[in-house]
Amino acid sequence: MKSFAMPQTSQAGRAIRVIPFALALALALAAGCRPADACRGEGCGTLVIAALGEPATLLPPVTDQQLARDVHDQLFLKLADVGMSANTVGDSDFEPQLARRWEWEDSLTLVFDLNPAARWQDGRPVTAGDVAFTFAAYTDSQVGSPARPALTRIAGVTARDSLTAVFRFSQTYPEMFYTAVHHLRILPEHLLRDVPRDRWSTAAFGRTPVGNGPYRLVSWTPGVALTLAADTGFFLGRPHIARLVWRFQPDLAAAVNLVVAGEADAIEILVTPDNVQRARAAPHLRLYEYPGLAYGYLGFNLRANGDPSRPHPLFGDRDVRRALTMAVDRERMRASALGDLAKVPPGPIVTLWPLWEPRPRELPFDTAAAARLLTERGWVDRNGDGVREKAGMPLAFGIMLPSTSGLRRQYARLLQEQLAAVGAKVAIDEVDGPVHGERAAAGRFDAYLGGWNVDPTPSTGIGGTWTSAAVGLANHVRYANPAFDDLIARATTGAGSPDSVRALWQRALEVFNDDAPAIVLFAMDNVAAVHARVADVRIRPDSHWALVRTWRIPADRMIERDRVAPAAN
Amino acid sequence: MAAWLVRRLVAALAILWTVATLTFVAIHVAPGDPFLPSAERPVDPAVVATLHRRFGLDRPLPEQYARYLAAVATGDLGVSFSQRRPVAAAIRDALPHTLLLAAAALLLDYVIGIAIGLVQAATAGRRLDEALTVVTLMIASLPAFWVALVLLLVFGGWLHWLPVAGAYDPALYDALPFAGRIADRLRHLALPAATLGILGAAATARYQRAALLEALGQEYVRTARAKGLDERRVLLRHAWRNALVPITALVGLALPFLLTGAVLVETVFAWPGMGRLAADAITLRDYPLVTGTAVTACAVVVLGSLVADLLLQAADPRVRVHG
Repeated sequence: MKSFAMPQTSQAGRAIRVIPFALALALALAAGCRPADACRGEGCGTLVIAALGEPATLLPPVTDQQLARDVHDQLFLKLADVGMSANTVGDSDFEPQLARRWEWEDSLTLVFDLNPAARWQDGRPVTAGDVAFTFAAYTDSQVGSPARPALTRIAGVTARDSLTAVFRFSQTYPEMFYTAVHHLRILPEHLLRDVPRDRWSTAAFGRTPVGNGPYRLVSWTPGVALTLAADTGFFLGRPHIARLVWRFQPDLAAAVNLVVAGEADAIEILVTPDNVQRARAAPHLRLYEYPGLAYGYLGFNLRANGDPSRPHPLFGDRDVRRALTMAVDRERMRASALGDLAKVPPGPIVTLWPLWEPRPRELPFDTAAAARLLTERGWVDRNGDGVREKAGMPLAFGIMLPSTSGLRRQYARLLQEQLAAVGAKVAIDEVDGPVHGERAAAGRFDAYLGGWNVDPTPSTGIGGTWTSAAVGLANHVRYANPAFDDLIARATTGAGSPDSVRALWQRALEVFNDDAPAIVLFAMDNVAAVHARVADVRIRPDSHWALVRTWRIPADRMIERDRVAPAAN
Repeated sequence: MAAWLVRRLVAALAILWTVATLTFVAIHVAPGDPFLPSAERPVDPAVVATLHRRFGLDRPLPEQYARYLAAVATGDLGVSFSQRRPVAAAIRDALPHTLLLAAAALLLDYVIGIAIGLVQAATAGRRLDEALTVVTLMIASLPAFWVALVLLLVFGGWLHWLPVAGAYDPALYDALPFAGRIADRLRHLALPAATLGILGAAATARYQRAALLEALGQEYVRTARAKGLDERRVLLRHAWRNALVPITALVGLALPFLLTGAVLVETVFAWPGMGRLAADAITLRDYPLVTGTAVTACAVVVLGSLVADLLLQAADPRVRVHG
């Protein structure tokens, strides 16, 4: 036994002697796998954002993609920006950005005094010439900016001197200041003047932008991520967080996975109760609720499917639309699909807009009244198959929706079930995004499940989507009622007390609800998830990452990626 | 041999032309406008018309096809509608990721598959062989996306052992030392490579088992046994060497599987390779990118098949082409 034990002891001894070497090797390897701690203390930190997509370009006038706008918020400043109140009337709630102050020379002339410290990231000063150049670009049909229709009431922009930009309007209205500042991200004339305007959509500048904002582009790896670094010389104060990384993950569930797994730090909207529950269960995350700017609806095509010259055989009849609207229990659908994350709105409005009280008149949920109205209009189930007919035509139609939206699929099934109860047969037609876009633009659909992510004001949010002026653009259902148009025009452009303007909006919404060109199903309340180590988180409802330069990651809470030094400024 | 090679190259060009043509027709015939991405992002018809003109979509389809073929012949794959940059640049970024994933998957596929095949051949007809047959058949029948989701859930979601997405950590990677970068790559590679590797291994194991059992019935194996060699040596030294030859031919067949399987696996794991690029391009109706990825994938498969044939000929004189 003894002679047998000795070698064992000897082997054990050798093993014990090897342990320090093995540990040293393991430590060396571990050290070799860790990033150099190059950044310490305040001014460090990395915020990784799970991004639901990827921008096509970062040249602001040519895109209104949500993610591009998020990045633009950090790269290209406006003259002034909407404040936390999101009030777009007048100019009192706006915060200076590139302009340090402004004044009205007369009721149609607005003069901006630029901050002389404002610089492009190549060191050149931001000038009033850049402002005039920007306006000219945004309103040039060759650029094709989505913001162009919103700028039609600005007659012109000129540079009085290098730091004074003058805006002249063609008419007065309550949101003149908002029009002047909200849509225009000021562009560097010296870098863009030689780029042919009809080539802006593919301009190299769009992938290597030079901005004037708190962050500058460091890298953009298509399909992977886009990284910005804080501009240490930013004239409004150095951002607290050194790096912003957008990790591209177009699938919502997968993007939430990234945040829950700690591979990303923030996501601006969780959308479904299931995602909120998952994020809430993750101890390293904090949730932030803020009012939403999105609503969803079932739009009825008022013109024949594929032939806008004729009325739709079903939805051309206002009473049929009204009956179908009354047949739908929107509250039950909201509770089933979205829980507390949404409200049922009294018209095409979002939770941020102050148009909910007093609540505009709406069609009630009343299946008996719906059935009665359909019968009065001649829609009767004569053959007992559960589907009403009129002159041999069944009360049957398709609902088009994009195949990528699980939420809309769920709503489509709920609508199918509820409308069947009043004798309407619904087919669900799931299509790819570009097919959805093409068919909506061409009017090749019966009904479609749509959603709008709108501006912070109903002026463009409703005026740009449901008026007859928007037919051929965003008004896919081709709803046109002069009374509605007139009320919107008066609410948008007319002077008056806030109460009288609100009354105009209320009447417009009631006309819309009476006409029922769409069943507005839900208005979202947003919930963002942000890593708990991030402090001073404030989310502006109209632009979720707009204030990220004021967020902080305290030194004692930093994790590995926070200590990575940003590329040199 | 030279004539055979020329014939193969001509056939390869014909295959490439066919794929380019079919893809071009299919994507152009498919409904949807690339510049109307969704109903929620309406675009002024005048802007759409400008973009159509800019990218030549206003021309008759035969003219677009002729221009496309002429451009492809000179190596110009066009400009991506969605990425607003040359298709060649997009492919140049994505292809290495897919090749890395395919190589890792192929390695796992062959190591695991051949090992299982060996065990099955050594225990042929016994319970272990039967159990492994059932298991490999079951695994081979599983859809790639399902396996991917299960692995993602278990190792990424529950255990948090491995990252859930991407080819590397974009927030850390550039700051890592060389060893750290390799470790980061391997951690991100593990789940997608395992998904494709496990599925491939199940099929490889079945091929390997069959090839080994056939080899074990040959005269030279009987001779080896008669000489008194132990069974392990007979299996590994004599039978296995010959049974590897048909497995080599599978490399050429595995490539299409890896590239098509990669479309789903890359999408699930947000792997920035050719599969995800192609899937996104199809969804966005990015015509140049769809045709570009199809032609490139086809070229990789054709080339892979050619290499596999050459390897097979090198390994097995019986299939060697003479003259």
